[in-house]
Amino acid sequence: MRTFAWLSIFAILISFTGCSSDSGIETTNEGASGTSSDAGSDSSTTDTNDGSESKGTIGYSAMSFKNPFFVVIKDSLEASANDAGYDLIANDADTDVSKQANHIDEFIAKGVSAIVLNPTDRLAIGEAIKKANAAGIPVFTCDLQCVAEDVEIAGHIGTDNRQGGTLAGQAMVEVLGDQGGEIIILDYKPANSCVLRVEGFMEVINAHNEGREAGKIEVIAEINGGGDEEIGYKATADNLVAHPNLVGVFAINDPSALGAWKAIDEAGKTDQISIVGFDGAKAGKQAILEGKIYADPIQFPKKMGTEIMTKILAYQAGEEFNPIELIPTSLYKKADAEQDPELQN
Amino acid sequence: MKLPQDFSLFRDYGMVLVLVLLCGMITWATWEEQHPSDASAGVALANGLYDLKGEELHVAIMARQTKSDDEFVKAIEDQIAERGSSVKAVIRVRNPRDARIELEKLGVSNTRINAIATHNFCFSTWGVLKQATLDGLASSHKSFKDIRPYKPKSRMGSAFLSAENLIAILNQNAPVAIMAIGMTLVIITAGIDLSVGSLMALSALISAVTLRSWFGDADASALGIITAFLLGILVCTACGVFVGLMVTWFQIPPFVVTLALMMVARGLSFILAGGADPVDIQATGAELLYSGTILGVPNQIALMLCLFVIAHVVMSHTALGRYIYAVGGNEQAARLSGVPVFWVIIIVYAICGASAGLAGVMDASHFTSGRPKAGEFFELQVIAAVVVGGTSLLGGEGKILGTFIGAMILGVIQNGLNMQGVDSYTANVVYGALILVAVLVDQLKRKLLN
Repeated sequence: MRTFAWLSIFAILISFTGCSSDSGIETTNEGASGTSSDAGSDSSTTDTNDGSESKGTIGYSAMSFKNPFFVVIKDSLEASANDAGYDLIANDADTDVSKQANHIDEFIAKGVSAIVLNPTDRLAIGEAIKKANAAGIPVFTCDLQCVAEDVEIAGHIGTDNRQGGTLAGQAMVEVLGDQGGEIIILDYKPANSCVLRVEGFMEVINAHNEGREAGKIEVIAEINGGGDEEIGYKATADNLVAHPNLVGVFAINDPSALGAWKAIDEAGKTDQISIVGFDGAKAGKQAILEGKIYADPIQFPKKMGTEIMTKILAYQAGEEFNPIELIPTSLYKKADAEQDPELQN
Repeated sequence: MKLPQDFSLFRDYGMVLVLVLLCGMITWATWEEQHPSDASAGVALANGLYDLKGEELHVAIMARQTKSDDEFVKAIEDQIAERGSSVKAVIRVRNPRDARIELEKLGVSNTRINAIATHNFCFSTWGVLKQATLDGLASSHKSFKDIRPYKPKSRMGSAFLSAENLIAILNQNAPVAIMAIGMTLVIITAGIDLSVGSLMALSALISAVTLRSWFGDADASALGIITAFLLGILVCTACGVFVGLMVTWFQIPPFVVTLALMMVARGLSFILAGGADPVDIQATGAELLYSGTILGVPNQIALMLCLFVIAHVVMSHTALGRYIYAVGGNEQAARLSGVPVFWVIIIVYAICGASAGLAGVMDASHFTSGRPKAGEFFELQVIAAVVVGGTSLLGGEGKILGTFIGAMILGVIQNGLNMQGVDSYTANVVYGALILVAVLVDQLKRKLLN
């Protein structure tokens, strides 16, 4: 029996210590004082800001680390948090709101200084945020917003998705020219951000069509692309059969745009059909460089990470700051891809 | 090798040892400076301040508008009064910006302050309590001339071991643990149920949708809410009965029946929700199943513990319990010795369906919505909890309380990994490896005992 107790300790220790992060120790400015040595209190005369000691921990519950977009946010948030003297704990909610609610419980138990979320559900995460509110821990959201009632969000940073949608619409008008023709939209209705993208897109297309007899751009189907390569592929493949005269596809993100390209390529119609995507993830940019996708309104996840940290610091300092900030997208085409250092080598 | 009698707990439930070891390890891994902000910390802070300044103490308390801070503030006030002095000002604010404004007001009012008593949360992050900012305030307001912040002394400890965290672990894992009760019975009969995760969603959706369309939505009465929840559980129980019939009458392997049901129930959940968006529950009171307490114990935890005790008694002290083991051990022999195999199988799958239904309404109560994605991949977690708890997938063997330990082992591992911020890719590897190690330890122990 004893042998096995030791064996198990050994086995578990090996598998655990190898992975435990070394951020175990966190110190404040305690001890930087000189005046008191009594048992009850610790006084502080200085609050050093040299970055060598940790001021606290920031808890980040990400949408999903299977999507590189959120890994970029995490990396940039971590870098700017460390620069400011904070540690970051990043947990992967894997698009599951119950996991995210657990993360918030754990952040509260750990007593983090601030919580950053990509809400996995714009309503259902509300209860968990209320718990953090009750514990007096500020909650910041990033990319997606929480719209539940009675929750207190200290700050938000996201992409201006409607503006991005109009850029996508302009790109579609540009590539189809005066010919116009039939196009489809691969949407993803559960995500509000994607709904806004389609709204912005339709705004431009409708303006283009207004008062026009010939050369209208006609949206013949708006179907679910799942925001996913596989679903986007199947949806496009089915529509290629139903609508042989298709000239364009607008996909609300890169994976579904790439799925659409795969279907179009298999049908041998890459010359006939142009694709406009969204995101500007590396795979999407690469596809633009190779001419598979015509253009992407691109988002700036790296900027989101640094800006959210700027907001946290402004909050902690008690300064006034813009609580909701939407970063505009910019249009990215082949010429941009050829210049892009990220795609070199 | 023979074990002494008083080791029987470990012999029957070897996993208890693993759980204790795990907790010890995570405590060790999360051992770091803790910053107390409870009532006793407030008393110590007040005493320290008075000892330091004596009659010269002019203290203002700064804290947030939270329940836990209420106690902290009150403790300081009371203790300072006890020592024959008084607190000059209490600043309760929602955020650092308000703190700055309030402190400025206090300066303008010309109240003499030379100490600010607060806890680490405000002390170490709030800019207004940085010495540089305070010095700035002191230069513009004479009454603040030697103002300084003070906080309770930090001590070493583990956030993992805090009561708050341990309760959170029990609470978070209650749905999986409850489903694991049903799953244990099924697995003991040498069956399997892959549909529990999807049934959880179906139950949540049925409750949410019936509440909305039959029981008056936001105006639903307590009875309406309970009926809606019971309907969710009832439908899942019926699904369990259906599985049982398929397994016994048509001799379809349970793996296949429940795989099909898993897909059907998941699909139905999305259809009921009309998409991937959750169906919001407006009725007030629906959240009480999750957020309410019985004698101070959160409802979910109380419910889970009760069900485990009942299941344990049924399995170890009733005829039904013996029948379930008998069917799993050798179905043919059980039949020949007069065990009503048909009914046993149906009852077992019905219980499993009902427990999934209960987990579903718990989820609906937690998120005040029916989520079509609720319980995704939970079937695997539930099966893992049962297996880690020492129940054999071959049937005939297993213990209910072992399952409880198994569920808690999984919960503790997940909690420890999250608290440490182990990145999710590595966390998956560790999680998988630890499950394997846990079962391996148990297997080795059995081998040795036989």
